[in-house]
Amino acid sequence: MTINNSFAQTLRSIFTDGGVLLFCVVVPLVYPVLYAFIYNGEAVREVPVVVVDDSHSRLSREYLRRLDATPDVRIAGHATTLEEAQEGVKSRDAYGVVYIPSDFQQSLMTGRQTRVQLYCDMSGMLYYKALLTANTDVSLSMNAEIKVGDMGANPIAAASGIHGGTPEQKATLQHPVRYEWVALYNATGGFASFLIPAVLVIAIQQTMLLGIGLITGTRRERGEKAPSQWSSFQTLTGIALAFIAFYIPISCYVLGVVPEMFNLPHIGNPWEIGCLLLPFLVAVFNLGVTIGVVPHKRETVFLIVVFTSVPLLFLSGVSWPGSAFPSFWHYFSQIFPSTHGANAYIKLNTMGAHLRDIRYEYFALWAQAIVYGITAWLCVRYVYKAKEPATRPEQQ
Amino acid sequence: MIEVFLRELRRIATTPVYWLSLVVAPFFCVVLFTTLMDSGLPSDLPVGMVDMDGTSTTRNLVRNLDAFQNCRIVERYASMQEARKAVQRGDIYAFYYIPEGTTQKLMGQDSPIVSFYTNHQFLVAASLTYKDMRMMSELTAGAATRSVMRGKGVDDGRTMAMLQPIVIDCHPIGNPSLNYSVYLSNVLLPGVFAIFFLFMTVWSIGIEIKENTSDELLACATRRGTPGATAVSLRALFGKLAAQGLLMQLAGWTLVLYLYGYLKYPCLCGIPTMLGIMTLFVLACQGLGAFMICTLPGLRLGLSFASLWGVLSFSICGMSFPVMAMPAWVQGIATLFPLRHYYLLYVNCALDGWPLSAAWPYVLALAGFALLPLLYARKFGRIMQQTAYVA
Repeated sequence: MTINNSFAQTLRSIFTDGGVLLFCVVVPLVYPVLYAFIYNGEAVREVPVVVVDDSHSRLSREYLRRLDATPDVRIAGHATTLEEAQEGVKSRDAYGVVYIPSDFQQSLMTGRQTRVQLYCDMSGMLYYKALLTANTDVSLSMNAEIKVGDMGANPIAAASGIHGGTPEQKATLQHPVRYEWVALYNATGGFASFLIPAVLVIAIQQTMLLGIGLITGTRRERGEKAPSQWSSFQTLTGIALAFIAFYIPISCYVLGVVPEMFNLPHIGNPWEIGCLLLPFLVAVFNLGVTIGVVPHKRETVFLIVVFTSVPLLFLSGVSWPGSAFPSFWHYFSQIFPSTHGANAYIKLNTMGAHLRDIRYEYFALWAQAIVYGITAWLCVRYVYKAKEPATRPEQQ
Repeated sequence: MIEVFLRELRRIATTPVYWLSLVVAPFFCVVLFTTLMDSGLPSDLPVGMVDMDGTSTTRNLVRNLDAFQNCRIVERYASMQEARKAVQRGDIYAFYYIPEGTTQKLMGQDSPIVSFYTNHQFLVAASLTYKDMRMMSELTAGAATRSVMRGKGVDDGRTMAMLQPIVIDCHPIGNPSLNYSVYLSNVLLPGVFAIFFLFMTVWSIGIEIKENTSDELLACATRRGTPGATAVSLRALFGKLAAQGLLMQLAGWTLVLYLYGYLKYPCLCGIPTMLGIMTLFVLACQGLGAFMICTLPGLRLGLSFASLWGVLSFSICGMSFPVMAMPAWVQGIATLFPLRHYYLLYVNCALDGWPLSAAWPYVLALAGFALLPLLYARKFGRIMQQTAYVA
């Protein structure tokens, strides 16, 4: 079979196969949008807490007022005891309890430390993060003011002669060293901006693997004649070109339009992303043909491909930092195109890196394209062929 | 029914696909997740340092930062540009910047400004390095105040009270060590198992349609006595589900025993309660799977449905990104995923240690999923006979 024939035939089978269309067109079109809707809130704001204020003082009210004013936390209710507050958490009306001790103001006024107790529900790390950040911010801002006696008579401030000092003196004492924090690339710390780029790359890989698996599975089920030795390379090239051509517009939509639609950071150069896409698609295609050897039934490919999506997301090192991987899993993660594809895409598109910054991923993808290309060709040539005698009689 | 049950067991034992999806693949994931996040909390994340001042005071600061648990300074950069490029390449997750003249300003009580940059594209790494770098900055400011106060003759104890009058004592309920594996594996793994439970249920029914063995199945269900059409339907459906259910329960229980018995993840309600919740969860997955294949009686369509549902449940169950921050319509859809209810039950019982009665709506929801196949109990026989496999 010539390259042309094989190209045309593959495109035909893609467009006439409902299952392939579902996974290679509908899923890449709809799933990213769905994910974007799920995560587009970006951050958890106004996490409800119950407060137990045993102090009932001016300063404790000030603390709670500032806490309620933070974007992260909302005071959902007041309770008189910790047990009562716990009921609120139990019914999921609140995700934490803030307890202010009875000697809160007294301690602060007499120059002793006081401890605010914060109980966090740990069902989600984001609740914990929001509660801890908001309380830390409030305590630090009040601490700075207490230091210079702005919160009322403070014996220490008075003793050190700062109380009633000039504004400049006060400012220096409040912040002898100032610090600034800059969040790079994902300035709001948004969850969608963090997770979705990796999900997009994995979605391209997984749907393409499913598509290839469905097509090779169908061919094997029908007991289609394996290509003869000479033409197997040409056939394979034709199929590859068809799949890659088919996936170029889909990838443009997934990697280019979706971030635009949902305002995810997208500062990459489209041509550089295009350059990355080429080895990625080739590597995924070759991997797809290689694992297409396993299933004898059309549907088995679901079992193999679908469940790996979540492990692959973790292995990409985006959610769980790659530097904390045990070395075995680090090396294991390197064999999947999605690991390099996701990291390179994030660097290009979210972090504005250039091709020279993603040399490692880029060459790794080409290396995979070549290695999986060889395995794919061997599979087409030997494995598919070996099945020939077994499938032929069925056909007759 | 016993004939169908035995026939199904024989089929499972002799088909590699079932072994793959009940034993090999799920337990591969168990090993992957629990060993990948073995450390619980990532430590020694690579960070950079740009020290333009280069005095003994700033070097001291650098050493202190290196001593923090989450950060490890892997590289010093000569300029901000270089450090930023290193972040872009992914060599470091964050860097700390000390401008020239910091020490001099500090000595002259002129409030120098230091800064730190964290790559929030990697959210987990960024939060941890941010925490350390902020703490470091506060401590530096504190040390400066202390030396001023010493000069004024105030003793250290009183200075400490002045530096940090209000202290926050944080108590993370149920997961005091902030173990990420506890937070993630406890829900991700049941989610992976759920995908396979859905697959297996859909597969086992769909394959009978595809391979035209449904007559054999119905004949098997008719073997004893002279049952009516409904009875045959019931026997065929529940005989199949019971056989698979038994094996799925074994897989589910193994997971629970591994997580709470062997790894000793927090389980305040005790292992038996979690076993019970898992049992209910498995039944819910089976119910949903049977519902899927009966609604879309074709192996391919059924599996597609199960795949899309199963993969979405990880995101929509609210374990990583809370449901309360999702749009209202997504919040409504979230209740249609068994994993969501399992997650809430797990939090209620194992993590928070509250009685099951505090979470009864989720128990009811899972029971509802488990009862779904009853909708098709009468029609099952007809579905099996009438649907021809469409390739």
